Amino acid sequence: MWELLLRSRKFIFGLAVVGAIILFGIVGPMVTRDPNKMDYTSMGQPPSNEHLLGTTIFGQDIFAQLCTGIRNSLIVGGLAGALGTFIAILFGALGAYKGGLADTIFSFVTSIVIVFPVLPLLIILSAVLSQRSLFLVAALIALTMWPWAARSIRSQVLSLKEREFVNLARMSGMKDTTMVITEVLPNMLAYIMMVFVLLVGGGILAEASISMIGLGAPGAVTLGQMLWWAINQTKYANWWTMWWWFVPPGFILTVFLSAVFVMHAGMEELFNPRLRKT
Amino acid sequence: MMKSLFTHPFTKFVAKKAVFYVIVAFVAMTFIFLIPRLMPSNPVDVMIARASTSGQTGVNMAAVRQFYLNYFGFNKSRFDQYIIWWDQTLHGDLGLSFHYWPTPVVNIIMEKLPFTLALVFPVLVISFFLGNWIGAKAAYVGGKRSEFIYFFSVFCNRLPSFWFGMVLVLVLAVKAQLFPTYGGYSFGLIPSWSPTFFVDVLRHYILPFSALLVVYLGGWATGMRSMVIHEMDSGYVRYSEQLGFRKKKSMSYAERNAILPQFTGLNLLFNALIGETVIIENVFGWPGIGNLWIQAVYSVDYPLIFGCFLITMVVVILGNFLIDILYGFIDPRIRTGGGR
Repeated sequence: MWELLLRSRKFIFGLAVVGAIILFGIVGPMVTRDPNKMDYTSMGQPPSNEHLLGTTIFGQDIFAQLCTGIRNSLIVGGLAGALGTFIAILFGALGAYKGGLADTIFSFVTSIVIVFPVLPLLIILSAVLSQRSLFLVAALIALTMWPWAARSIRSQVLSLKEREFVNLARMSGMKDTTMVITEVLPNMLAYIMMVFVLLVGGGILAEASISMIGLGAPGAVTLGQMLWWAINQTKYANWWTMWWWFVPPGFILTVFLSAVFVMHAGMEELFNPRLRKT
Repeated sequence: MMKSLFTHPFTKFVAKKAVFYVIVAFVAMTFIFLIPRLMPSNPVDVMIARASTSGQTGVNMAAVRQFYLNYFGFNKSRFDQYIIWWDQTLHGDLGLSFHYWPTPVVNIIMEKLPFTLALVFPVLVISFFLGNWIGAKAAYVGGKRSEFIYFFSVFCNRLPSFWFGMVLVLVLAVKAQLFPTYGGYSFGLIPSWSPTFFVDVLRHYILPFSALLVVYLGGWATGMRSMVIHEMDSGYVRYSEQLGFRKKKSMSYAERNAILPQFTGLNLLFNALIGETVIIENVFGWPGIGNLWIQAVYSVDYPLIFGCFLITMVVVILGNFLIDILYGFIDPRIRTGGGR
């Protein structure tokens, strides 16, 4: 699978950018200073040699905040992606494999939840849960984001379950759950990976969106939270005076999301031969 | 005649969709009813606590609490509450706002709703037509430029609209001073249908509108471009070229087949757009539902919070229903009931 993937230029490009940002998020927080440390001698300074991206209104180093923000956003995105993929497999694969009433129920639930828009749901859930940690935010995102993934996994399972090797396993008297886990899912690993990658991107964007309006995990440094602080905590009447505070986090976010999309497109072309020419 | 209208496959299709969305609406309403009631702390207590810390002393808090408990019917059984709540909601009574006491929530929402719809629907329609047109044209471009177009449209589509909006404010409103930076209309103007007010609103409208439009243009263009390139490779286009059809003619077939899958993405995109509008209204201070909603969250105004969610779900459900009908109308397999 990996050999095949390395033949796609889009995938390599996307992977390189995503990898670089992940590395930045892992190494960065180790070498930079404490992102929360307030320094009253340099408040709201524009970028300089001492502070690569300037400082916030409380004298916090923005470069340090950016590194920690990338790490925390990746953690939320990764958790939300993993949990979301798990729920999607549960709803998509089991129902489709069993067929009959189970499939009707599972896909009916999916088609109802898919109508609920993600961000409004997150707003309403965040509004009633006032104690929010990064983990809770990730869980909420996963709970609202899975339906489209479940739908696409379902269609894959439907086509896979008619294959020879699944029939053979069925004839040999294997249990359904075992069969889904040992025969069906491993054969759609590439597909699950694609879903996971898109869910991670979606999770990071969703976290940034609700943090942006002040409903993320209070106190945790993430990319969206940085934008929220940049708008709401400036000493000037207007947030745009301190452009060095809000431009970097959004830019990193855009580059990361674009890279995830391109990576996903590269994978789709390889695993879905129907689209290979595009 | 009447009988054929009722048995027509398209009528059946519409009826099926209508039943489905009624079920969705029922689930959404039950969800709205249950969420505040299943929370560990009673919403009235949360609001009272909030009011006491903001320095309103001297008022008999126990009496106020009792009043609100009665007012929301929290002292009745849950099933009775549910019935009463349905009755009120269907009569358009969403309760009274706490923050703007005693204004009915419905009145506040109806005042803000036009501003939100004015963002959502033009962005949806214009981005769909313009984006797909750009995507179809971009499919012809070959060579190095083709790759550039691809990455550019992906980049546009992946811009978080709220951040892109902030950049637009910095560049176009602050540096170039072309547009106002904040709000829906200038301070001191009263909403009316006068030309002055209209022009003023329009000037405030352009930035949030463009921030959303660019993002969604990129999305449609990326999808349409790859669909058309895919169709260009298919048998019927190759065959029509062999037959000596003009390029324009065979491309019009390719584009017609490419646009249909784009339509299926319209529902998901509409839902995403609603969410992004809620966020972006807060960046620009655009006086719509999203702005109102977040203010309500900050001031722990439960009737208003759930009223805003309800109206969002109404817009989402009606929008999705219309899009489904439109799709059925455009796809000849559904319209005529053939292809099964």
